[in-house]
Amino acid sequence: MGKKVWVSCLAVLLGFCFISTDSVFAGNKRKGKIIYKKVYKACQARGKVQDKRPVLSPDSKTQAQWKIVFDQKKFEQFGCKEEWDQLTDKQLEHVFTYLHAYAADSPAPAKCK
Amino acid sequence: MNSFYLVTAMSLLLISTTNAGDTAPGRTMARQVLKTQKTWITHDHSKHKILQQDFKNGSELTDACISCHNNIDAQFRKTIHWTWLAPDPETKRIYGKGGDSFNNFCISTNKMKDQSCLDCHAGWKGIEDGINCLVCHIQEDINWKESFSDIQAFLAEKDDPESLEMAADIQQEIRDAFSHIGQPARSNCGGCHFYGGGGDGVKHGDLDTSLIKPTKTLDVHMGVDGKNFLCVRCHTTKAHHIDGRLYTVPASLNRKSLIEDDLTSKITCESCHSSTPHKSNSKANAHTDKVACQSCHIPTYARVNPTKMKWDWSKAGKKKDGKAYKTKGAFGKYDYMSIKGKMKWEKNVQPQYFWFNGSIKSLTGKDMIDVSQTVKLSHPEGSPDDGYSRIFPFKVHRSLQPYDKINKTLLAPLLSGKEGYWETLDWPSALEKGMEFSKLPFSGKFDFVETTYVFPITHMVAPKENVVSCSECHTRKNSRMDGLAGVYMPGRDTIRLIDLAGWAIIFASLAGVLLHGFGRIVAGRRKG
Repeated sequence: MGKKVWVSCLAVLLGFCFISTDSVFAGNKRKGKIIYKKVYKACQARGKVQDKRPVLSPDSKTQAQWKIVFDQKKFEQFGCKEEWDQLTDKQLEHVFTYLHAYAADSPAPAKCK
Repeated sequence: MNSFYLVTAMSLLLISTTNAGDTAPGRTMARQVLKTQKTWITHDHSKHKILQQDFKNGSELTDACISCHNNIDAQFRKTIHWTWLAPDPETKRIYGKGGDSFNNFCISTNKMKDQSCLDCHAGWKGIEDGINCLVCHIQEDINWKESFSDIQAFLAEKDDPESLEMAADIQQEIRDAFSHIGQPARSNCGGCHFYGGGGDGVKHGDLDTSLIKPTKTLDVHMGVDGKNFLCVRCHTTKAHHIDGRLYTVPASLNRKSLIEDDLTSKITCESCHSSTPHKSNSKANAHTDKVACQSCHIPTYARVNPTKMKWDWSKAGKKKDGKAYKTKGAFGKYDYMSIKGKMKWEKNVQPQYFWFNGSIKSLTGKDMIDVSQTVKLSHPEGSPDDGYSRIFPFKVHRSLQPYDKINKTLLAPLLSGKEGYWETLDWPSALEKGMEFSKLPFSGKFDFVETTYVFPITHMVAPKENVVSCSECHTRKNSRMDGLAGVYMPGRDTIRLIDLAGWAIIFASLAGVLLHGFGRIVAGRRKG
């Protein structure tokens, strides 16, 4: 019995090790990208910014830096406050997953094009 | 000393001819050409029923374009923009990115097998799928391949209304863009050509994102505060063959103006400005048969954004704490990347000058190299005696890149993808894979050799007040033309006998004046 429990625990632990970094975060990075871009498109439409391109690209920060930004909700640096305030927690989670997945120290750093 | 007087005199002559009003004939001619510069669009593509559908992939979009433009497929597939090939019957080499051509940046596309290179191909999946017409013909910033990949991923999540809504949003965005179909804008051409070599301004030096919205000071033709030329204004096009490319054949086989031939291409300066564009008494007109306009009118390149000048692949592969890393240097650009090696960037760079007949001699992966000296991977052809060549400015990019120690040929590593060097940091396997894709032999033994690669400098034409001054070339020390053989340049070059004779005449004249003056004074006193 004791041996079974021990093997099960080990299997669960190994399972965690094989889960990719992306799936640790519950958001959807593809949705996050669309939501993130939509924020600036709306912001441009109301004349707040000239360019619909987001001010920060995923590769503007490391994964750890993005985590701090979202943990502490330091969203002022993104500008377009009105649009940011309207994002739900779920949408923020998607955006975070997108930015984190393509951060400067990620396997595939990305710029917003 | 004599060069100082000579250059001063020449400068005064030039100033007197360039500052006296705005009536240089070359300028007047070019303005005539531009009289009807506005184009009118008589067609709103977004109104077409076939373009109002929910596109799910690129092929559907291509089919929609071809349903009206029914010759385009056959026409475009013959162009170098599609084939990436430039066969040369003389050398029996297949030049071009899709052929055997190598460069000293990312070296090769491995016969179009490297997927990251294909990002810049105008097809949905390289040459194996339909043409993406809109990458050139829509003046909206849309990443087409990514958009369709997103649409397909969202549509696959049939049970998630949010995903379906997002797919519909992207499809609507695409439909909205159809009202902006037209001639390619600078950003369309620049989407690939400004990023040649893998990043903004890496390759050319005179082509980078600063030309999307340039000022007149950066480029007199494209300046948004000036004539606001699109690329296609000079790169004239026939059946989608776009003037201006250079491999073995010059961009233009003759330097004709529109006066000589109203149907001539507008790819050369002379097309609009004529071969004697300066005022009739200007010394500058006497230069145009031997000095290309660009040599004087583009004093430096990379004037806003920096450009890559050196790339040392031999330093690639280093790790920190067991991980690949990168560091930033001057201008905020990466100067070291484990996946790429060491790089040097420069800004506001003075070109190097060579005799140039319009053709570039390039080596391919099939050519043997001499590793005892710097390998000229590409170099301008021409000589002062062929009656056609002129002195032309170039960017020279230097690199240390891999070569086969046994076969004495350059090597093309596979860079992107799971088996590529950027993922594995393993030279032997990346070289083996790359050469296999390139269908070229590899002995397995490699080292690194220094190479040079040239780019003609022809964009970033400065306003007339910023052109290269006479004294920058006609000077003994630090002349821009240092080392350029085959031409006698007053001020830079010297013939001792003529110099001595000149000084002798000056001293004799001075002595004559002094003696004469002295004689007049003595004679005057006697009379008095």
